[in-house]
Amino acid sequence: MAPDAASPTFPLALAEAPAARSGVLHRAWRVGRRRPAALAGAVVVLLFVVMALGAPWIAITDPVRTDWSQIRKAPTWARPFGTDDLGRDGFSRVVWGARISMQAGVFSILLAIGIGVPVGLVAGYYRGALDQAIMRLTDAWLAFPFLILAIGLVTILGPSLTNATLAIGLGATPTYIRLTRGLVLSTNQEDYVLGARALGAGDLRVMARHILPNIVSAILVQATVAVPTAIIAEAVLSFLGLGVQPPAPSWGTMLNAAQQFLESAPWMAYWPGLAIFGLALSFNLAGDGLRDVLDPRDY
Amino acid sequence: MIEFLVRRAFISAVTLVLISLIVFTGVRMIPGDPARVMAGTDADAAGLEEIREKYGLHDPIPLQYLRWVGLALRGDLGESIRTRQSVAWTVAIKVPITVELACLALLIALSLAIPAGVIAAVRRNTAWDVLASAVSLCGVSIPNFWLGIMLILLVSVRLGWLPASGFVPLFEDPFANVTRMIMPALVLGTALAAVLMRQTRNAMIEVLSADYIRTARSKGLAGFAVVVRHALRNGLIPVVTVLGLQMGALMGGAVVTESIFVLPGFGRLIVEAVFTRDYPVVQGVVLITASSYVLINLLVDVSYTVLNPRIRVNGGVDGA
Repeated sequence: MAPDAASPTFPLALAEAPAARSGVLHRAWRVGRRRPAALAGAVVVLLFVVMALGAPWIAITDPVRTDWSQIRKAPTWARPFGTDDLGRDGFSRVVWGARISMQAGVFSILLAIGIGVPVGLVAGYYRGALDQAIMRLTDAWLAFPFLILAIGLVTILGPSLTNATLAIGLGATPTYIRLTRGLVLSTNQEDYVLGARALGAGDLRVMARHILPNIVSAILVQATVAVPTAIIAEAVLSFLGLGVQPPAPSWGTMLNAAQQFLESAPWMAYWPGLAIFGLALSFNLAGDGLRDVLDPRDY
Repeated sequence: MIEFLVRRAFISAVTLVLISLIVFTGVRMIPGDPARVMAGTDADAAGLEEIREKYGLHDPIPLQYLRWVGLALRGDLGESIRTRQSVAWTVAIKVPITVELACLALLIALSLAIPAGVIAAVRRNTAWDVLASAVSLCGVSIPNFWLGIMLILLVSVRLGWLPASGFVPLFEDPFANVTRMIMPALVLGTALAAVLMRQTRNAMIEVLSADYIRTARSKGLAGFAVVVRHALRNGLIPVVTVLGLQMGALMGGAVVTESIFVLPGFGRLIVEAVFTRDYPVVQGVVLITASSYVLINLLVDVSYTVLNPRIRVNGGVDGA
């Protein structure tokens, strides 16, 4: 499609994307100092990442080991989050739950980006009948409420972490198609794109080298607000019994179990919920900050 | 304007056709014999043959689709595997409960979001603004099922003020009905309130800097009158659009809320149907929610066109 895709760099400076990369870190630091809440959000997200990756070292107790002598014990110093209805350690399960939540949140959005961005790119770049067809399909896809669509897909695929991730990802895909298409439409008319085309760059090269780098930050910002939504969606599906299956320690399944023991063991309900809330809130705070770092014009 | 409305209606019609295609394909993707999927595992040979006959399962796929759509348009969505009642009826008796819940949630959301959004916009960059934004951020980040559980724990278990679950029909005992609906409605309304508050704030900030507001102010009108009479009316237009788009989230939220508070609505129906592999019910609920979402948004756009003279004259803001 692009005969010149492998050609050497263009002699003209306008062919390069105008974003100055060296300034990003510096700007991040400035924004971080001006907006401590965004910085705190980013730090907490990182803590959750560390928790997810380091689960085997942080939570030494086996999260699925049941202990009939320790059923629904209130929090103590030794077991700060108490134990659940099967005598499993609450702290350990919350820590391991971070893994499942992160996995579902990040992979589902990666899937949505992986499908949505190329499709939106093609729709916005070529316009015409193909674009119309893609957009109508996107409209139809968006008409299914996110959660109802996910429930429908899980019904077809069967409940599991992988299928819940798949369902959430497919549910989030149309947002990326629309976003990318809109961004391409506005970028398409920029001088540097017109210039690159005038110099004979093929479609693929224009899309990959000139359009994509300039829309990537907007997609990234959208991703940071989509991940918390995906994390909550996984928790909801697992809570309803349509996601991660017991005994795996998912925050959603933990809350499902906790619901039956609100009177006798309320601590079972505190921590998993706080973890979801904290992670989602931090992601949203960090996302707000990221928007400032990546797109100073908008601020 | 007519041209815009016709085009808008046409797009909605295309969307509805695509929705039906997606649902049809989805049901066909369930592994196994389609007749068995529709009739349930304990159906006998005669029952299976009846289903095959009704949906023309021996015919080519496109013909099967047309037959299925034709039946659906006449309100025949098959029958529930579990109860053997028609899906349309099963759904219809659940709808009022969810509609009541959604209306209450909407009421709560609007009465929180609009004043908060207006105050945040008028007192921009003050402590009020920061507080409103912080609360709104918490509102979108808090998982609503956890909020529900915490409310039950506090209000029902600890304080004993309201019943934790159960349902009483509105016309049987309005008071008992509302006491059981208020907590779920609050839970369902929280996220919506957060989104709407942000929208109101942004729209109001934009409107308040418009020329006609400055004119109204310079005429000597009091601040409150300007905000409420001049700014709010225009500021609410984008809020209505967002409200239409949030209907999907509201329907999704109803699934969770009804499960926690054990309300026998639409949302609980779909969860129960999924667990009992009652595919015709799942199919019906999904089809009806998506279609009503399209129709609600068509209505929102139409009313918006009628209300907003700028669109009326220019033939539509092209957002599609």
